[in-house]
Amino acid sequence: MKKKVLLMGASGSGKTSMRSLIFSNNPATLTARLGATIDVEQNHVRFLGDLILNLWDCGGQDAFMDSYLASQRGTIFQHVGVMIYVFDVESRTTGKDLAYYHDCLEGLKQFSPDAAVFLLVHKMDLVRGPKNVTFERKKKELEEASSEAAVTVFGTSIYDESLYRAWSNIVHTLIPNASVLSKHLATFATACSATEVILFERTTFLVIATSTPTRLPNPGLEEEHDDPHQLDPTRYERTSELVKAFKYTCSRVRGEFHSLEMELHDFTAVLDEMTRNTYVMIIVHDPTIETAALKLNIRLARRKFEELQGDSIRD
Amino acid sequence: LNGHRKSLSPVARTKILLLGLRRAGKTSIQQVLFNKLPPKQTFFLETTMRIVKHIYDTVIPLEIWDCPGNITVDTLGAPLSQFTTLIFVIDIRDLYNQPISKLVEFIVAAYRENVNINFEVFVHKAEKLQEDDKIENFRQIHERVSDRLLDLSQEYEQVQLGFHLTSVHDHSLHEAFSRVLHKMIDSLPYLEDLLNVFCANSQSPKAFLFDIASRLYLATDASPVDSATYSLCCDYLQMLNSFGPLYKSITASPSRTQKLTPTPPPSASSASSPKSRSPSPPDNSTLPRASAHTNTKRPSKDIFYPSAATSLQQTTPATTLTYHLITPHLALLALVPTSVYEGRRGLLEYNVVFFREGVQEICDVEKETRGG
Ligand SMILES: Nc1nc2c(ncn2[C@@H]2O[C@H](COP(=O)(O)OP(=O)(O)OP(=O)(O)O)[C@@H](O)[C@H]2O)c(=O)[nH]1
Ligand SMILES: Nc1nc2c(ncn2[C@@H]2O[C@H](COP(=O)(O)OP(=O)(O)O)[C@@H](O)[C@H]2O)c(=O)[nH]1
Ligand SMILES: [Mg+2]
Repeated sequence: MKKKVLLMGASGSGKTSMRSLIFSNNPATLTARLGATIDVEQNHVRFLGDLILNLWDCGGQDAFMDSYLASQRGTIFQHVGVMIYVFDVESRTTGKDLAYYHDCLEGLKQFSPDAAVFLLVHKMDLVRGPKNVTFERKKKELEEASSEAAVTVFGTSIYDESLYRAWSNIVHTLIPNASVLSKHLATFATACSATEVILFERTTFLVIATSTPTRLPNPGLEEEHDDPHQLDPTRYERTSELVKAFKYTCSRVRGEFHSLEMELHDFTAVLDEMTRNTYVMIIVHDPTIETAALKLNIRLARRKFEELQGDSIRD
Repeated sequence: LNGHRKSLSPVARTKILLLGLRRAGKTSIQQVLFNKLPPKQTFFLETTMRIVKHIYDTVIPLEIWDCPGNITVDTLGAPLSQFTTLIFVIDIRDLYNQPISKLVEFIVAAYRENVNINFEVFVHKAEKLQEDDKIENFRQIHERVSDRLLDLSQEYEQVQLGFHLTSVHDHSLHEAFSRVLHKMIDSLPYLEDLLNVFCANSQSPKAFLFDIASRLYLATDASPVDSATYSLCCDYLQMLNSFGPLYKSITASPSRTQKLTPTPPPSASSASSPKSRSPSPPDNSTLPRASAHTNTKRPSKDIFYPSAATSLQQTTPATTLTYHLITPHLALLALVPTSVYEGRRGLLEYNVVFFREGVQEICDVEKETRGG
């Protein structure tokens, strides 16, 4: 099953950088060396078992944009599952950016009317002063420019966890039966006396599903208040970011990251392979639970999840 | 007034003087190491206008003097004899005459007052240059400083000068500062002995005693340090430091460590198999280990010591990187063969307990001799 994902936006807005961070495990500091993308770079990224993302990184220079909208129009905008449009928060050509964005929306409406649209206000790290004020202003501007199209807007930067938050949400919309996975994770969490269980995709470390029922797609909304733990709302994306960074270190110096267990003051956690394509992290607060027992539980649950995962993407 | 202040804070601190021209990177170094400033943020630091004294407590209590770039021996306003170490920061791309004159001026003045003072030169912002230029500039700076000193007098041949290539953007700064620190820790040989014993008994090829917050290593075993391994440990520690508060629960976390300690924990068997499905009978080889682990891991100690382990593949032999809290500020990080970590966990934990007691004793002695 292939899903076409369009990555669009002005030249220099950061598309190739985020792709290299999320899918190639390169560190943010190396992105400065990237050259402008010429035309479209296609990548097939095996994401979950048979779920293959067909990622189209579309070079954003005007000449390319003009051709996407004219002669290549059909090729570009056909069979799109998701369009991600990246805006540099510091852009000095906002008018032109919005005009191109508007034209791309038209193309999408014509050839893939059901595609989901995500807008990333990128390079948020460069914003001086209150970031949320800038973000809200940009968000409003973009929503207005989108007229009736339903869009989801995220603020992102390659230098912090915000990129993982956005991409986890994007990918989430591509996994047909993620809610089934969530339900089984909840059962597994109960069996482990765990507070929470999180399932990650293996290479990108994006969050696929969690045992905590609903993940709200909109940043800024509070978690339900009957939650007795009130865990940090940024924990998922920060976990992705932390593990990703450490994986990179390992790959550079000494073999490949495999698993992690922690018995810290505030919690116990085990992070280990669940299936061929996923990692699981179990968070436990009950001090009487041993990490060895958690590891055993993961081993026992592997086959079940291997089956489930196969089901969840065969829609 | 002075005497009064002394009696309030009687700890004898080891003093470090941080010198260098304006914008050389002194404040950045101090803030990145001891104040958790992300390296990228150093860009926004303002110029230091007067001496700022930072204190930091690790195995030994430190006092770091961050000076403005235009300071001279005369305007320092304190005798150089009271400093254990003088660190001079030079921007690797700087025109070398001015900083070197200044450095030489300080060396001459300090050496006159105290022949035992450690002189360290940080050739800084090294990541800005390509490998070849980096080495060439480093060599030139080294050579010019030595030449200038010898021009003044043959007596300066004795001066011990340490040169380091550093950058806040990688671990070279941490490694260099660790080496500088080692010369100031009187109990270093004892810590090293403890680490050597730990390594021998745990089949560990490398172990570090880390200061957790700064990620400097205070001591390591006798095997040579390679930067890659140190970097790995540094990043591991950074990840654990970041994970620490991430899953803190407002209800469950506070009672956690108390519950852990007083009585031996009930058996974990209640949670040892998923209730909803058991695809295959539990593998025997894991179960006994899990319970043996229960017995050895938590003797009725009065304090809970966090620990962690991460296993790496495709190394020969397969390696596990362990973390054990030793004191509230210090942690032991060790590479151990995964076979030892998984198969001889009890032994490993025993070695950690032994190591911890040794380090705690050394820390107590340090405290006593310093007063406070
Ligand atoms: N400060 C900051 N810089 C970023 C961020 N993301 C990317 N960059 C920088 O932006 C520059 C351009 O990034 P690219 O990824 O090549 O941009 P692109 O959108 O692929 O450009 P085209 O291929 O020409 O369309 C690089 O120097 C990146 O290092 C970010 O979040 N913050
Ligand atoms: N590239 C690079 N820049 C650095 C490094 N360390 C510090 N800087 C930059 O150098 C500038 C001056 O640093 P600062 O600490 O204020 O210098 P001080 O006047 O010596 O205290 C800042 O813009 C820092 O971002 C480094 O290792 N590499
Ligand atoms: Mg590009």
